[in-house]
Amino acid sequence: MARRIAIVEDEAAIRENYADVLRKQGYEVQTYANRKDAMRSFDLRLPNLAIIDIGLENEIDGGFTLCQSLRSMSETLPIIFLTARDNDFDTVSGLRMGADDYLTKDISLPHLSARIAALFRRLDVLDQPTSPENLLQRDKLTLDIGRLTIQWNNIPVPLTVTEFWMVHALVKFPGHVKSRQVLMQESKIFVDGSTITSHVKRIRKKFIQVDEDFDCIETVYGMGYRWNTQNTSGNTDQ
Amino acid sequence: MSRFLKNPFGIRFKLVFLSSFLLVIPWLGYQYILEMEEYLRRGQEQTVLGTARALATALNERPELFDEGSYGPARQSDDLYVYPVFYPLSLDDDTLVDWQDYQRYELSYGKDDTIGTLLNPHSPFARYYHYDDSLNFKLLVGEYNRSLYAYLKVVDDHVVYRSEESLSIHRNDFLQISLVTQEGELKRYVISPRGPEFIYAYAVGEDLRDLASLSHEEGISGQWYEVPGGYEVELRLPLTMLGDQLGFAVYDVDDEVEREVSSVVATSDVNDRERLGSLRRPTPEIDRIVEGMGHTNSRIQVVDRAGRILLSVGDIQSATGLVLSEQAYQERVNKYWLFIEDNVLHPLYYRILTKPSNDFIDELYAGGTIEGQHIASALGGAPQTQFRTLEDTQTRILEAAHPILADGEVLGAVIVDQNMNGIRTFRNQALETLFNTILGVMVIISFGLFAFASRISGRIRDLRNQAESIIDDNGRLRNTIVASRNSDEIGDLSRSFSNIVERLGQYTNYLENMSSRLSHELRTPVTVVRSSLENLGLVAHGKESEIYIQRAEEGINRLNLILTNMSEATRLEQMLQTSEKERMDLAKVINGCVEGYRLAYPDFELVADIEGPVMIEGVPEYIAQLMDKLIANAVEFSYEGKPISIFCRAIRDQGVVRVSNYGPFLPEEMKGRLFDSMISVRPQEKQRQPHLGIGLHIARLVTEFHHGQIRAENLRDAEGVAITLAIPLLDE
Repeated sequence: MARRIAIVEDEAAIRENYADVLRKQGYEVQTYANRKDAMRSFDLRLPNLAIIDIGLENEIDGGFTLCQSLRSMSETLPIIFLTARDNDFDTVSGLRMGADDYLTKDISLPHLSARIAALFRRLDVLDQPTSPENLLQRDKLTLDIGRLTIQWNNIPVPLTVTEFWMVHALVKFPGHVKSRQVLMQESKIFVDGSTITSHVKRIRKKFIQVDEDFDCIETVYGMGYRWNTQNTSGNTDQ
Repeated sequence: MSRFLKNPFGIRFKLVFLSSFLLVIPWLGYQYILEMEEYLRRGQEQTVLGTARALATALNERPELFDEGSYGPARQSDDLYVYPVFYPLSLDDDTLVDWQDYQRYELSYGKDDTIGTLLNPHSPFARYYHYDDSLNFKLLVGEYNRSLYAYLKVVDDHVVYRSEESLSIHRNDFLQISLVTQEGELKRYVISPRGPEFIYAYAVGEDLRDLASLSHEEGISGQWYEVPGGYEVELRLPLTMLGDQLGFAVYDVDDEVEREVSSVVATSDVNDRERLGSLRRPTPEIDRIVEGMGHTNSRIQVVDRAGRILLSVGDIQSATGLVLSEQAYQERVNKYWLFIEDNVLHPLYYRILTKPSNDFIDELYAGGTIEGQHIASALGGAPQTQFRTLEDTQTRILEAAHPILADGEVLGAVIVDQNMNGIRTFRNQALETLFNTILGVMVIISFGLFAFASRISGRIRDLRNQAESIIDDNGRLRNTIVASRNSDEIGDLSRSFSNIVERLGQYTNYLENMSSRLSHELRTPVTVVRSSLENLGLVAHGKESEIYIQRAEEGINRLNLILTNMSEATRLEQMLQTSEKERMDLAKVINGCVEGYRLAYPDFELVADIEGPVMIEGVPEYIAQLMDKLIANAVEFSYEGKPISIFCRAIRDQGVVRVSNYGPFLPEEMKGRLFDSMISVRPQEKQRQPHLGIGLHIARLVTEFHHGQIRAENLRDAEGVAITLAIPLLDE
């Protein structure tokens, strides 16, 4: 049975372009131009995944409201914000609303579909046992590449797909410095440097919520970031 | 202070200058009081003249008051002229000096005045024999305090005193005084001393040889003293004893054995009531009339035609004309004020003002006759006033003379004198009060004006400072003007400034957010194009179309990059607002960055001159971002093969970072605007990548976030550019 994806987007051209691509990939796509239409439909039946724009017709924050309603209907429904708003504040707000990812509209379609696929995969494997070959172990860190989940000290760290891919890129080769450019490519987003900085900040915060002494992601000024296996404070003195 | 010097003619100065015209007010006051003094002086003149006229009128047509007999030259008759004396005389001082100048009015009697008496039977023709030249005397008669004073200077080659045992009074040198009492009775007194002594007068009967008729007369007192070549007698008798006739006779005895009177010199025939000389003294009639006018606070004198003073009432020292109450001074109980007034103000005032003194001597009036233009004029028939200034005390004396007429003929003159000290004192008091008041008012006004001017100029300077501080060196709005709530013009100006700045701020804000908003608005159509192209890529087949799609995608990617860059600054600004600063070592962060750049730019030589620690409060990520921009900038403009140097040091209280590269100089006009949004100095051929001039703008945003300054300058020693930023060090 084909998965149903709901796209809530007030710009008809974009909406239809996305819908076309996703349909071609075998998804069943429903499109809505505003929050009311979307909610009416969602009340009858929930989609398997929702892609929401924040500004919807005359509602500036309609997407946020919609996200909240959806999250209250389903805990697990993957929600992606796809919006032109690229500021930090909206990003944080969106993710706090319970969205699984926050993407700006300059993302390319293949990247978008990769994310959608990843999210569905994560959904699929939730109720299956973890296969050991998908596990990546670094000290206290456990990466489940199949489920796109991360555990620190066996406590799950709630990362978005984008964030997971970033951590994965860092952890693959501990001690290697990954530039922002590399992290961008790895996490399949196209943003500027400062957005990467704020992503990394958010990741650090999420780890620190689990473990106050977390200090594994080190900033190498002028170059990028690297994963420290030792729990020593990183410095780059000559 | 430097501001004050820079603008020495500020509002405050101008106001103070203008208010200095207030100094005209005390000058006007001074002039006014001088005018008033002049007016009062004229008033006093009129008053004095009026007094003189009134008196003269009272004395007019009464020729009997000016007995014709007294008008001849003094020594032409047997009459005695009584000079009014204006000060007390001392009888027992063995000298006549206290008569002072009056002595020049003394009259001489000599052999021509010899008379015959019972004691020298040669008479009455004795004078024609003038066998004895040795005896003569000088006489002066004066009046003071209702008493008659007289002195005789007798020249006598042999002074023979009354012998100790002798009872008789005529066998020696003696002095006889004859007078007619007010009842018309002739009385004779003899002063016959036993040596120089306090005189003892005898009243004698018909014959002075008759010892039985001698009786002591207490009314006559005085002193007899011997001088070389004779003797002097100074005596006094009350006016009550006197009628209007008086005579003196000096009896001379030269032979101490014989003791016979050899000669007698007398003022008149002292033994004959009919021939006794008259006493010429101010008549009681005039006295009474003038006495009635005497309480006029002036000195009144009546002179006869010869200018001799017949009468004088009052003294010029106390004749101030104006009586001033001292009340005004007593009311001031504040002793501090009095202290200030006496020790500070008055010494100051009296440098300008003259303080009149009542302690002066009017020399002109010391004698028995007076003269002066006014008197001459009055005696000529025309009343006149004049002012006279005494040399030594600066006292001015006002004199008025009015003729006394009888039958169209001038008999004499009334002279009324007042000194001007009253008016002068009054003027001085008025000036003191005026000066005090004006001083007070001036002080208050000056302070008031100064405070007002200071406030106005202070407010204007405030406004100026505010206006200057709202725009920084780069012309960016930094502050707003706090609109004043004052309702005056300056408040108005402040409000309109505030309004302008606010609107300018809105406009600037609109401009600054322009790129962000533009990028946001453009993003949707770009997304439409991009997604459409991608869709097209998925469905289209054929080599040709693929190339075009690829080119279109490249274009759209570039457009996307531009949009991202455009909003980068805005995004950064938003992030800065929520960022928290931490303690960090600037040197360490820069060091790390340089390491990174060596990897990132292997083609360039990076020379690091870093010395730490440079502790500041900041966000390392942003500092790194800033360095990214600076290095990217330096690399882009650097000449090939030239090093890029990075310098980091703590200098004084600032952490200084300098990135310099060898490359083309900055255009002079761009230096200040280099850090503004959307400013780029890149030449067109270098535009391989889209550049919006956002990089240095971001550098500035980060610097400002750290309360630092950033500036770009051309190198001095080589062709190149240095960008320097200074961030305040953390207070340890």
